[in-house]
Amino acid sequence: MATLRGLLETPRHLLVCEKSNFGHGKSRHRQLVETHYHNYKVSFLIPECGLLSKELKNLVMEMGPYYFVKNLPLHELITPEFINTFVKKGKLILSLDKDTYEETGLQGRPSQYSGRRIMKFIISIDLMDLSFNLDSKKYERICWCLKEKKPLKFDFLLAWHQTGAEESTMMEYFSKYQIQERQPKVAMSTLRSLQCPVLQSSTLRGEPEASCGGPELFDWLGAVFCDVDLNNEPNSFISTYCCPQPSTVVAKAFLCTVTGFILPEKIHVLLEQLCHYFDEPKLAPWVTLSVQGFADSPVSWRENEHGFWKGGEHLYNFVIFNNLDYWLQMAVGANDDCPP
Amino acid sequence: MAAFADLDLRASSDLKALRGMVETAAHLGYSVVAINHVVDFKEKKQEIEKPVVVSELFTTLPIVQGKSRPIKILTRLTIIVTDPSHCNVLRATSSRVRLYDIIAVFPKTEKLFHEHNQYFIILMERNTTNHPWIPGMLLVASFIKCKMIAVLKDFVSIKEVACTHLDVDLVCVTVTEKLPFYFKRPPVNVAIDRGLGFELVYSPAIKDSTIRRYTISNALNLMQICKGKNIIISSAAERPLEIRGPYDVANLGLLFGLSESDAKAAVSINCRAALLHGETRRTAFGIISTVKKPRPSEGDDDSLPACKKAKCEG
Repeated sequence: MATLRGLLETPRHLLVCEKSNFGHGKSRHRQLVETHYHNYKVSFLIPECGLLSKELKNLVMEMGPYYFVKNLPLHELITPEFINTFVKKGKLILSLDKDTYEETGLQGRPSQYSGRRIMKFIISIDLMDLSFNLDSKKYERICWCLKEKKPLKFDFLLAWHQTGAEESTMMEYFSKYQIQERQPKVAMSTLRSLQCPVLQSSTLRGEPEASCGGPELFDWLGAVFCDVDLNNEPNSFISTYCCPQPSTVVAKAFLCTVTGFILPEKIHVLLEQLCHYFDEPKLAPWVTLSVQGFADSPVSWRENEHGFWKGGEHLYNFVIFNNLDYWLQMAVGANDDCPP
Repeated sequence: MAAFADLDLRASSDLKALRGMVETAAHLGYSVVAINHVVDFKEKKQEIEKPVVVSELFTTLPIVQGKSRPIKILTRLTIIVTDPSHCNVLRATSSRVRLYDIIAVFPKTEKLFHEHNQYFIILMERNTTNHPWIPGMLLVASFIKCKMIAVLKDFVSIKEVACTHLDVDLVCVTVTEKLPFYFKRPPVNVAIDRGLGFELVYSPAIKDSTIRRYTISNALNLMQICKGKNIIISSAAERPLEIRGPYDVANLGLLFGLSESDAKAAVSINCRAALLHGETRRTAFGIISTVKKPRPSEGDDDSLPACKKAKCEG
C-alpha cells in the first residue's frame, strides 16, 4: 500500500564524506570551516586521553564571549555606523514567512523548498553595496520598509571577530538595548571503556573485517555524544545500536563540548591545535572534531539556504589521523542544499 | 517555521483544567489554540452558550516554547447536526454564533455531509440587496459546476434551504465509529475550493484501540477522495495529557496517508487558512472568497458598510 511504502521512507538527509591531508595545498578545510557561520556546538573526542593539555584547555576556555540583545530593531543592522564598525563586507539575509514578507515590502525570492504553496521567502540585502550608496533610492526604500512599514524586532545573538585595534565594542554600541555578555558553556567528561571503531585513514569506505567506513563512524559518534550504551542489549528500550565492527575497547577517552555562538575563526584555531596534538607520539589513532550549526539558521555554508523541516541539522565533522590525514563529513537535513 | 495550531481543545466548565490544557499546549509549541464548545441538538433544546472569555482564563498568556510570543487563544463552536433543521441555528443573523472565531459542523448523515458543501453560491447572493441574482449565480456556478438545475427549478424552497446552509469553516469527520457513508468526490472538491477544512481528531484514538482502527480507516478513506488537501488534525483533548506535540501530530498524519509536506501543513498552514476563513466570515458578510487560500483584503472589509446585511426575505 502506498501509505506503508511512504512510512518506510525517512526524511531526506545528505552526508558528504571526503578525505584529504592537512598538508595538501588544495585542502579545503579552512574554507569550509570559515564559511560555516552559525555554529552552535563544538565537540571533540580524543581517545586514550585522560586529561586535556594546557593549550587545548586554554583555547576551549577562551572561545570568546557572545552577546545577547533583546528586541533589537532590524533597521539598526543597516545603519552605516554598524556596517563600517562591525561588518564591513557582508549580506543581510532574511528568511521570512509569507505574511511578513508581504508586509515588509522588500524584494526577495521564494525559498527553493516551497512545494505547491510558497510559504517562505528569502530576502538578501548586500550591505557593502548599501554602505557605498547611502543616498540611493534603494537604501531609502529599505530603511523605510524596516523602520516604518514593518518594524521588525528580534532577539539577537551576536558574535564578532575583532580584527585590528578598534576600541569600540559591542557592549558600548548596543548599550541602548539590553545587551548581555555571555560565555559559552563548556562541558568536559572522561568516558571509560569506550568501544571505538577501527579506522584506516586511506580507506574512507572501510574494508570489511579491517576497518570501518565514514558513515559508520558518523553514526557511532552520534551515539557517543548522546551518551547511548553501545552494547546492543536486547532488552534496552532506548537503543539497540551497537558499535560498528571491527572495534577496540579504549580505556578512557576525553570528550569536551562547548555550546554557545562560536566563531568560525576560533574553530579554525582549535582545529590547528588538534593537529598539533599529534606532534608528539600518542596512543590515540585519531581524534574527532564536530561542529553543529543552529537548527533554525537561515544559511548553512556560505549562502546555501537552510530550512527546518522536522529537524534543522547542519553539521560537519573532522576525523584527524596521526599522519595528518583527515576525513571530513558534512551532513544536512531535508530542505537544505548539498554542502559544498 | 510555520506557527502550529491546535484547533480543538474541549471546553468544560472547569476553568482550571482548561488553563492546564492551554499551558500544556504552549509548552509543546502551539502558537494558536481554539477552545471548542460542542453543541448537540439531538438532545432536548440546547442553547448555544456564550464562549469562554479569554481574559477570565489568564491574566498573562503563557509564552509559546521556542518563541517569545504568548499563545493566541480563539473560540470555536462545533455543531453536531443529525437533521437539517439543526442547521437553522447557523443563520448569519444569529448573534450568539457570531461571537465565535471558528465555526465547525459535524454532520452525522451522508446527505448533510455532502449537501451543505454545494449551495454556497446561493448563500452568497442572498445577502445582496439587488436583484436579479439569477444571472450572477449562473455565472458563478458555471465556474464551480454546481447543481444548477435544482436552483432554477425551485426558487423559494431553495432560498429557504440556502438560509440554512452553512457558513462554516471546518467540517469534522467522525472517528469514533465506522464511517456510515462513503465520501463522494464532487461535493468534497467543492468544499475544498470554497476553503473548508476537514478535521480529524486524534485524542479518542489515544484512549481506545478500536477507535484507533476507525480513526485510521476513516482517515484513509478521506485521503483517497480529497488527496490530502485542506486537512486539519487536532486533538479533541479534554485533559492536558491528551495533547501531543506538533511534530508528533505531523507524524501521525503520515499514518493517515498524508504526504510529509501535507502532514506538516495539516498542523500549521491549513489551520492558518481555516482561521483566516473564519475572519472573513465574521468581518465581511456578503463576501465569501472562492480562492483556495482565503486571505481577506483589508480594503474590502473596511469598505463594506453594515447595512449590506440583508434580511432573508429580501
